[in-house]
Amino acid sequence: MLAYSLPSDISPSTYVNAASLVRIVALGLISAAAISSRLFAVINFESIIHEFDPWFNYRATKVLASEGFYEFWNWFDPTAWYPLGRVVGGTIYPGLMATSGVIYNLLHALNLPVDIRNICVLLAPGFSALTAWATYMFTKEMKDESAGLLAAAFIGIVPGYISRSVAGSYDNEAIAIFLLMFTFFAWIKALKTGSALFGTVAALFYFYMVAAWGGYAFITNMIPLHAFVLLLMGRYTSRLYVAYCSWYAIGTLSSMQVPFVGFQPVRTSEHMAALGIFGLLQIVAFAQLIRSHVSSKQFQDLLFVSVISAAGLGMAAMVLLTYKGWIAPWTGRFYSLWDTGYAKKYIPIIASVSEHQPTAWPSFFMDLHMLTFLFPFGVLALFRQLRDEHVFVIIYAVMGTYFAGVMVRLMLTLTPCVCVASAVGLSQLIDTFVDPREPDVEQEKEGGDAAPSKQAAKKEKNAAPITGVGAIDDIVSTLSGASSPEKDKSGKTKAGIFGLDTRMVVLFNTAAMLLFFVLHCTWVTSNAYSSPSVVLASTNPDGSQHIIDDFREAYYWLRMNTKEDAVVMSWWDYGYQIAGMADRVTLVDNNTWNNSTRLTAGCAAHIATVGKAMSSPEEIAYPILRKHDVNYVLVIFGGLIGYSGDDINKFLWMVRIAQGVWPDEIQEPNYFTPQGEYRVDDQASKAMRESLMYKMSYYRFAELFGGGQVMDRVRQQQLPKQSPTLDYLDEAFTSENWIVRIYQVKKEDSLGRDLKSANGFAQGKKRKRSKPPVKRRALA
Amino acid sequence: MFRIWRVLLLVLSLAILSYARSSTGSSVLVVLDPSLSKDNYSIFFKGLEEQGYELTFRAPKDVAPAIIQDGIASFAHVILFTPETKTYAKDITPQSLVDLLSQNTNVILALGSKQTPLTSLASEFSLILPPPGTPLISHFPERDTPATVIPIPVSSSSPALTSGLAPVWYSGIPFALGNNPLLVPFLNAPAESFAADTTEDSGADALVDAAEKGGEGLWAGKDMSVVTGFQTVDGGRVLFVGGVELFNDEFAKKEVTKGVRSGNAQFAREMAAWTFQESLVLRIDDSAHHKVNETEPRDKYTTNDRIVYTTHISKYNPATNAWEPFSGLTDVQLEFTMLDPHIRTALPPVPSKPGEYSVTFRVPDRHGVFKFVVDYKRKGWTHLHSSTTVPVVPPRHDEYPRFLSAAWPYYVGAISTSAGFVLFSVLWLAGDDRDQRKKKGVKAE
Repeated sequence: MLAYSLPSDISPSTYVNAASLVRIVALGLISAAAISSRLFAVINFESIIHEFDPWFNYRATKVLASEGFYEFWNWFDPTAWYPLGRVVGGTIYPGLMATSGVIYNLLHALNLPVDIRNICVLLAPGFSALTAWATYMFTKEMKDESAGLLAAAFIGIVPGYISRSVAGSYDNEAIAIFLLMFTFFAWIKALKTGSALFGTVAALFYFYMVAAWGGYAFITNMIPLHAFVLLLMGRYTSRLYVAYCSWYAIGTLSSMQVPFVGFQPVRTSEHMAALGIFGLLQIVAFAQLIRSHVSSKQFQDLLFVSVISAAGLGMAAMVLLTYKGWIAPWTGRFYSLWDTGYAKKYIPIIASVSEHQPTAWPSFFMDLHMLTFLFPFGVLALFRQLRDEHVFVIIYAVMGTYFAGVMVRLMLTLTPCVCVASAVGLSQLIDTFVDPREPDVEQEKEGGDAAPSKQAAKKEKNAAPITGVGAIDDIVSTLSGASSPEKDKSGKTKAGIFGLDTRMVVLFNTAAMLLFFVLHCTWVTSNAYSSPSVVLASTNPDGSQHIIDDFREAYYWLRMNTKEDAVVMSWWDYGYQIAGMADRVTLVDNNTWNNSTRLTAGCAAHIATVGKAMSSPEEIAYPILRKHDVNYVLVIFGGLIGYSGDDINKFLWMVRIAQGVWPDEIQEPNYFTPQGEYRVDDQASKAMRESLMYKMSYYRFAELFGGGQVMDRVRQQQLPKQSPTLDYLDEAFTSENWIVRIYQVKKEDSLGRDLKSANGFAQGKKRKRSKPPVKRRALA
Repeated sequence: MFRIWRVLLLVLSLAILSYARSSTGSSVLVVLDPSLSKDNYSIFFKGLEEQGYELTFRAPKDVAPAIIQDGIASFAHVILFTPETKTYAKDITPQSLVDLLSQNTNVILALGSKQTPLTSLASEFSLILPPPGTPLISHFPERDTPATVIPIPVSSSSPALTSGLAPVWYSGIPFALGNNPLLVPFLNAPAESFAADTTEDSGADALVDAAEKGGEGLWAGKDMSVVTGFQTVDGGRVLFVGGVELFNDEFAKKEVTKGVRSGNAQFAREMAAWTFQESLVLRIDDSAHHKVNETEPRDKYTTNDRIVYTTHISKYNPATNAWEPFSGLTDVQLEFTMLDPHIRTALPPVPSKPGEYSVTFRVPDRHGVFKFVVDYKRKGWTHLHSSTTVPVVPPRHDEYPRFLSAAWPYYVGAISTSAGFVLFSVLWLAGDDRDQRKKKGVKAE
């Protein structure tokens, strides 16, 4: 029985052709949607590189495009981390720049003179289309093409991925998610077919991933974990052996070619799981071989014991090697994944990054919308068949969810999995309700009224997050009964859907949800994720957009008005931007937390030095500034227009980081009031008021208010009417909205006095001690 | 033709000779208090004029010529013989004098025992003046002059002064010196001298008290200075003289002992020469660096490179009014610095090449932005400072050794595995035919 009639005069080949045409058109449209929704940033603002890290990537790409790959590889940047310098070639993942470089050279070879900036700006949207395709391929392996299309559509517009891949967001993640999905696809394909070719493809894309993003460690551990779980489930096959060994051998060898990675795959704990599983697979394979040739029960037991003991020995060897220092122990960033308070205690540099904070619940909804509740449903749907590849997605879902809860930025790795699982689930739902067959009423034992009640229950469960285990089983059993017709032909159909109306109600609801999803994605993308953060936008009272362009104004001032080798000190957030936009030497930059574990102690001390200079009084900061040849100091101040991401709000991190190195000189409690409040007004603590950061932020601030109430609009506190004074620095530049303030460091006094008394003298102040005591030794 | 050239040359050389012998300029402004007569200082002023300085005189209250016009110093040197002037024209303030110095103008400043607007200047230069009205007094050696007129033997070892100079007559105040390294003391007070109120003797008790306490708070003894130079960080020189009488004709002609004229004239002349940057003036002409066996400088060096650093130092010769290569410095040091000096080595003069100083050293095994720093600061001499920034980079990817002897086990492993694989393949492919048939048969079944 059919709920609605299907045309019967279409030949199978026509159907196949039409379906593939529809798929191609759909994929094309999905790609177009994925690209175009990422262009809000360009349309609302302009074709500009966003945020902080992308500025470095952009600068590096320019070097690559102009100097060639070998110069880029050997690039030593003397303007970063002054005076330590930065061996760029050995401290970056060059995949992103190399990709842009290849595209740039390709287009120029075709006589298309495209500006390198535009390539960089549009790289992320372009790769998002490829991600959609890779997700389609991956999901196709999980279920079928329709699920693949749904997954592609989800990943194309889901805000969790858009947040990292809007036009101008030229960061490693831009290409990494595509590589992640494609590597996983190739792995699944290799596992399913037992093909060394696909294992090699997985390894090659893994290499590309290693070259592109530090998050490659996720693949490095996901695939071994998958293989390990399969082993534990007793699902060892020669296909697994071939796929894993070809991936691991080629992937590891090739990943070691990336200079930044080097020998880490054999020297650090993060990579040991992959090596261990590789060894375990050899042992298991050997045991299997032996077992197929030997039949004795005792011998098989012996074999089993020896396999276990060999694995145990291997583990012990690794632990010993770690203990001996041959294998680097887990890094702090790793620990911070398990203990969310770890970083705050031991590595303030990592904790000071906002995207390393635990994720708040609203952001899950903001980033995933309805996928948040479709996701568990999809995972459950995967349990139904539990093929090897389904195990993969389930593990991925568990790990991804955990990590996304620990760190905001790991939301990104969860998103593809959510899209895939949701697509599988939703596609099964749609399959069930689109399927025109109706259950045979006569064969139904429970009677006709059981099914509709189940449908009603299911509808509710789909609309709201799943609550009870019983209901879940219900859904799973319903689906398993309805959506695999091939199986059902042999067995009995126990449940089903009657009539067109129930189908229409569910499908209409689903369509409405999808529509809301699209609306939500568009809204979030245009409002939340398309701000370049270099240019700020606010709304005028009449609704028109007001652009606040203080950052570029200030960087341009630096570029035009300072010497080319001038050294600019700022907090590390702005290092890449100063290097990229102002082209000046910086003391510290955003590379700090990227690689804090691999930097030398000197570098770690370097950032603390800047923290100390910012949080010390002028006369202590001045020798530090002189020692580092600092010419200008740049601070971000939001108190005038209420820009909350300013340096005073970040100030406590500077204090903490400095305290980590100089616990005797800088103490965090000194910067709070006795009541434990963080204040900047007249109750501010002495250390706070005397700190260089405070003085630079509020220097001459009171003058703006002409004797009226001096108000800091970020902290909503009233400041003293007397602004702080500066003796060792001169105000050089303040941008239109006072967001960026640049100070010039004075030269040493030509008479060898300290600058404070020199200033007092220049202002005509009398010396305090007009008759100094004569310092003479007493006669013996 | 030839004769014309000769004449021209002669005129030119005369012009050079008559031109100022200072390295910074010849115009001198003398601010002279009306109470002091220009004629009383004729020996000193004539001497300056003979050397080619153009002296301009003005009183402290005169408006023109200003010492600083529109923020730019109008004269190369300024002499302030105004020890007791209370009021000045607007342009002369302690601040404007410091400003002058920062523009590399040189100043000779005569102090007096009275409090004047310029007294506050002394403390900026780390000079500690005695209370007003307490000139230097010494009752030794026995002589026919008042106690305030003292012959002081010149014992300074400064190269600015000729050794063996006769004692100088001095009348004025002493001052204690702070611990500022920029001070260059030239003439110290005699050990027996002290500062005291001569007219009223009001501070006599305090003096005795202080003396009993071991001299604390007492301006006395040979640590007091009466003539002190000061060289600013920027190179401007200023000379503080406790009493203007040091320069006058009377003291210059006065005999110290029978038949021996005082050293005042020559001392004043040499002090002026130092202050006006005639003597002890050095400069770094250029500095260069290159790898050993190369001649051109690199814009960056690799770690462990051997590099040569060369610098040329000249000394100003007032006799010829020219900069001449100078190899007389034996204690110059070169630092190769990144935050801290990684290398600090002597920069010795090259014997065969006048004025050239050179050293060869190995770059440390540390990459970063390094600076070649020559920082030569000696009392009295011009400070020499040169800083050249150069990045030191790690070796390029193709500059590492290709083959390592330590890696032979790995080479052997790789080669033997490859050979074994080939051997295995050959044996497998060329193996027994019947086996294969058997297998095929098995498969077919």
